[in-house]
Amino acid sequence: MSAVARSVRPPLWRNVRALRIAGQVVFVVALLLVGREMFLNLEYGLAQRARDLSLDFFGTRAGFGISEGITYSPNDTTRFAYIVGVMNTLRVAVFGVMLASVVGLIMGVARLSSNWLVRRIAQAYVDFFRNTPILIQIIFWWAAVFLALPTITEAISIGGVAFISNRAVAIPWPRIQEGAGVWGLFLLGGVLLGIVLARWRTRVNEATGKPHYRVLWFLAAFLVVGAVGFVISGDPVMMDVPEPGRFGFFGGFQLTPEFGALLVALAIYTSAFIAEIVRGSIQAVEKGQKEAAEALGLTRVQQLRFVILPQALRIAIPPVNSQYLNLTKNTSLAIAIGYPDLMSVSTTIINQRGHETEMLLVAMATFLIMTLTISFVMNLLNRAVTTKGQRR
Amino acid sequence: MVRPREERLTGTLPEDLERSAILVEDRPVAEVAPAKEPLGPGEWVRQNLFSSWFNGALTVVAAVAGGWLLFQITRWFFFRAEWAVVKANLRVYMVGGFPLDQIWRVWTSLYLVVALAGLSVGVVAPRVRTLRGILVRVALAAVGALLLMYLLDGVGIWVLIGVAVAVFAAGVAAGRLLGRRLRVPLVVGWTLAFPAVVLIIRAFGGVPPSRWAGFMLNLIVAVVAIFVSFPVGVLLALGRRSTLRAVRVFCVGFIELIRGVPLVTLLIFSILVLPLLLPPGITVPRIMLAMTMFVVFSSAYVGEIVRGGLQGIPDGQYEAGRALGLPTWRMMGLVILPQALRHTIPAMIGHFISLFKDTTLLAALTGFSELLATARRATAVQFIGAEQEALLSAALIFWGIAYAMARWSQRVERRLGVGER
Repeated sequence: MSAVARSVRPPLWRNVRALRIAGQVVFVVALLLVGREMFLNLEYGLAQRARDLSLDFFGTRAGFGISEGITYSPNDTTRFAYIVGVMNTLRVAVFGVMLASVVGLIMGVARLSSNWLVRRIAQAYVDFFRNTPILIQIIFWWAAVFLALPTITEAISIGGVAFISNRAVAIPWPRIQEGAGVWGLFLLGGVLLGIVLARWRTRVNEATGKPHYRVLWFLAAFLVVGAVGFVISGDPVMMDVPEPGRFGFFGGFQLTPEFGALLVALAIYTSAFIAEIVRGSIQAVEKGQKEAAEALGLTRVQQLRFVILPQALRIAIPPVNSQYLNLTKNTSLAIAIGYPDLMSVSTTIINQRGHETEMLLVAMATFLIMTLTISFVMNLLNRAVTTKGQRR
Repeated sequence: MVRPREERLTGTLPEDLERSAILVEDRPVAEVAPAKEPLGPGEWVRQNLFSSWFNGALTVVAAVAGGWLLFQITRWFFFRAEWAVVKANLRVYMVGGFPLDQIWRVWTSLYLVVALAGLSVGVVAPRVRTLRGILVRVALAAVGALLLMYLLDGVGIWVLIGVAVAVFAAGVAAGRLLGRRLRVPLVVGWTLAFPAVVLIIRAFGGVPPSRWAGFMLNLIVAVVAIFVSFPVGVLLALGRRSTLRAVRVFCVGFIELIRGVPLVTLLIFSILVLPLLLPPGITVPRIMLAMTMFVVFSSAYVGEIVRGGLQGIPDGQYEAGRALGLPTWRMMGLVILPQALRHTIPAMIGHFISLFKDTTLLAALTGFSELLATARRATAVQFIGAEQEALLSAALIFWGIAYAMARWSQRVERRLGVGER
């Protein structure tokens, strides 16, 4: 045994492990000191203004009105007012994500169309909406489009069932009647029957090679059972047609200028980004795949549907996820046009109650929960499609 | 040139086959592949617009819809719209309530940047030689000038624009003349340009940040944010990949927290809560608080971009750096970061574009007169009903710059060959 094998301990100041631990300790201590300093400043500043840190204000009477959302009155608690704001945010985010995805997919495919004109129009759409600030777009839709519509007394009537005015865009909306529960059971049964039939068609297809048409079979089963159930349960759903009054519409689904502007602007803006992602993903699918599909004699639509898009969407999921996150976060721009989303309700609470530190931390936490949830769902989706791809 | 190809080909296989293969590769491409015949107009229309009945129908629908839209927009632009709001508020749009006797500071800064831009274009951009290229540029310039003439009033603005164009042209000419020798001075110049502009505007009895406004404010905020956040972002990226757990946890937490929360929320936080966190007695102008938050926000995103670049560097590069005996920080500085940052350039430009657009978010807060807020205020008092004109003109200013940068980024991407392996 020579000196090589014997471990000689280096002095402490040359010992990498000791240095690493010391470095981390210094880092943490410095962070804690800065944090403590800030917290003391905050406490001192609040004490000077005779205020304190607490979340008690959430339990008190809100005392302010909210222009739209689930049923709420100023006598409810501040906590409930905040929840109304959160629901309003979710409403825009969910509809916005759906609209943006559909429009984005169409525009992304159109961007690669073999038709010169379609390609150019899609490109102009993407180039314009992507490179203009979203806040200007939101305010434009609100102030220059929705508020510029005719007043309620001169509302544009579409066949007497839908109305367009600067107070609201009102459209007929189904309203649930008695017997809806029975019909719901029928619908559920229709879905189950559809799934059974689709599975059977899949087996037939695998065994005999005959075309499966499983989507058609599914839809047929669903529609037939649903229609039968509709008749049996006796008009479970009625179309609620809006009626114009002096100051607003009664019934139907009413799109306020604020909600409409926010939804349209966010959906269009995000769809332009999604279109670029879709285009990039389609182009990222290996050229051989398209050639192979062509060699099999598939039509262009079939190539897209069965070969290109399934692979492209897989590539697109992570970037599309971050676009969904952006859309959700951008709903907070509602404060510029007065749509009562969670941010504008928060600022109203701050104006009335103070407690800005606590309120903003709660708002941040809410957004973090939302964005983390979306990321989680998209990651699940991502894992589902990638493992499927690897198994094949 | 003597080509002994045919003789070789008559020789015996297989060695000669190999040689002939090499010879074939030597031949100029034009001899092998005939140039594509340019399509005649009729053939072009058939192939690109009416290749199938479906495509034909699509073309007709798209043409009708697009034509109608174009007609409506054009008619509105020239006959319906009242551009008085833009003409009256142009200066307010650009610099807000900037003191008039100090406005030379803005123009000096602008000319400085324009001169630098001209020099850069002269050095970097290739000369336009084709007739078509020249014609396209002349036409674009003419359309731009006509539109400005239609939208703008007054002699002063034209003198200023004229001087700017002259400075730019002189810069291009000088750049051409001096060529590549200017490369290093230009990089230094651009780096110093920003502090210089701030000095020109601020120093020696200049204008304090609280009075900066209009489009100038948007530009300054965006440039400050990107400049300051760049080093911070690099540090965050390195910290996120650090082997020290405390550092890594902090960096991950910081980046994810900032990226999970909307910028508006952060900005409101910076205005309302940040002053409370500072030591008592220190008051910071609101715009500086907001700028701080822009820096914080941007550094989280820059951190993620740089991390992406770092992930693209193969392990072999790290091992090579270590094999050379470099300590970690020199290995990073000399081997890893130069490669990683090169790959992040397109993403970085993209981030800068979105940051530039996000400066409009100041309009969602009260008390900042950046361009969008100015445009909104213009229609609140005097030009009621001109929202479309006011907002559209603001949008077009942002669009023009963002679109130009996006195009430039695509060019850079192609030149760097990023994404091609």
